[in-house]
Amino acid sequence: MSSLDEKIEEAKKLSMHIVKESEEEKLMTLSVGPQHPGTGHFRFIIKLDGDYIVNVDLDLGYVHRGEEKMCEYRNYFTNIPHLERPVIHDSANITYSYSLAVEDLIGITVPRRGQFLRALTSELDRINYTLYWLAIYGIFLGHSTMFMWPAADRELVLDLLERLTGHRITHAFNIPGGVRNDMPNNFKEKCLSQINYLEKRLKEYEHIFYNNPLFRQRTEGVGVLSKEDAIKLGVTGSVLRASGVPYDIRKVEPYDIYNEIDFNVQYMKTCDSFARAYIPFLDVRESCHIIRELLDKMPESGDVREKLLSNIKGPPGESFKRVESGRGALSYHLVSDGTSRPYRVKISTGSFRNIIALPFLLVGSKLGDMPAIYWSLNYWPIEADR
Amino acid sequence: MNTASGFIRALESGTRHLFVKRFTLRYPEQKLKFVGDGYQFDPKKGVGIAGLRGRHILFHDKCTGCQLCSIACEGIAEAIAMVKVDEQWKQNKKSIMPQIDYGKCVFCGLCVDACPFYALYMTNDYELSSYTKQHLIYTPSQLAIKPIDNGEVEIKIDSRGASHG
Ligand code: SF4
Ligand code: SF4
Repeated sequence: MSSLDEKIEEAKKLSMHIVKESEEEKLMTLSVGPQHPGTGHFRFIIKLDGDYIVNVDLDLGYVHRGEEKMCEYRNYFTNIPHLERPVIHDSANITYSYSLAVEDLIGITVPRRGQFLRALTSELDRINYTLYWLAIYGIFLGHSTMFMWPAADRELVLDLLERLTGHRITHAFNIPGGVRNDMPNNFKEKCLSQINYLEKRLKEYEHIFYNNPLFRQRTEGVGVLSKEDAIKLGVTGSVLRASGVPYDIRKVEPYDIYNEIDFNVQYMKTCDSFARAYIPFLDVRESCHIIRELLDKMPESGDVREKLLSNIKGPPGESFKRVESGRGALSYHLVSDGTSRPYRVKISTGSFRNIIALPFLLVGSKLGDMPAIYWSLNYWPIEADR
Repeated sequence: MNTASGFIRALESGTRHLFVKRFTLRYPEQKLKFVGDGYQFDPKKGVGIAGLRGRHILFHDKCTGCQLCSIACEGIAEAIAMVKVDEQWKQNKKSIMPQIDYGKCVFCGLCVDACPFYALYMTNDYELSSYTKQHLIYTPSQLAIKPIDNGEVEIKIDSRGASHG
């Protein structure tokens, strides 16, 4: 036998041990998270075929705190401080709908000035949350200027919130029956000047970020969620409005004084990541208008809080209220059995309803588009896990 | 939008920013000024008075030892414990006053809302760090001290942008 034949024989023997790659094994599995892929602890497992995503598995629940169960052991007032922890930057909105639900259950109305103050904190917190989200969106697309600017300009809003409520975040300001305290002196002038300045700054954001060709190339036409799919998946808030559905709880189901406020519902028809990134920004602008209008229409004086017993008993029954938060509809379903503690509290948050769209958007797109799609969903893991 | 003009606009906006004032609070050299002396509550009217919710201040001459603050905190953080004090006050027969553990407190101020005798308020003091957990527990005598308030910087807005003073 020649040496060549020997070699072939040998190679054949060796190749007997080589197992051929199956279709399944060609895929690479990539775990994004669970250590803080951005806003909080959360993981999604991606299966990649080359550069393309073929499967996405969401793994939620890392920051589950049992908020709903905790509510059953506290009374209607002591629930407030722990309920705002899931979303500390938007704590005015998460306690807003809770307060509305409790008031509906007990059957009281909040004094008019109190309603205005609530709406004011709600709008300020919407700006605060959105700027924070925008900062992280910027840094995850590698645009560090877009991290610095909103993070600094948030200070304008935080300063106002600190004056009004006593805290920069987690205000514990909205309570069943109204708000904790009235506006301090000179708040109106201060608020107007800082909000006007913020609005001027927002124009520059447009130049450096939204009209920046680099940002547009990374987001336009990426992760398209059609109108029909958006409705079918039940997404809410900015994600729904970016898919061409002008749906805003403040307009559809006005709570407190929102039916007296004149504002536009922002929506876009392009359905892509760019639209989902742009809508919250437009909301911030609209919030600036709303704040000015609120300050203008607010009664000069009056009560801000309806006095209630600290261990008020809810009559047996149920109530359901929702508000438009920075991430979409945020609703509470309260069930009371007549004692001073709620029997059951169900929280439905915008974050959880929006993240459901993620697997549908990611499958078929490139891995490089993942941050642009994930962040555009306006997702806050701690709120989703509650 | 034309690509070239988009880039030029973005660069221009960034360059203009070189001449905008720096928006940074130089803590601890500078400290923010707050409205009022901290969050207070008027039990007669049933509303609070706006202010920062920092550490508490306890007025020994008003506290009756009624424990309402401690009961209010029970469902929140269980930060308040009622302790015996050596002082004799005629309104406080049992000589007990609240002691607050700042390792647990979340600064919600609901204990202030609960006090019916104007004895417990909050102050502008927010610098409460300590090396041990034990030092975070403030006894009634520590809570009686009025903090020194030296914040003086406020946000100023002029033609060159916003800045801290
Ligand atoms: S501020 Fe809130 S957490 Fe702190 S002691 Fe008072 S009630 Fe308890
Ligand atoms: S601080 Fe107020 S609520 Fe607390 S024990 Fe004293 S009087 Fe009662």
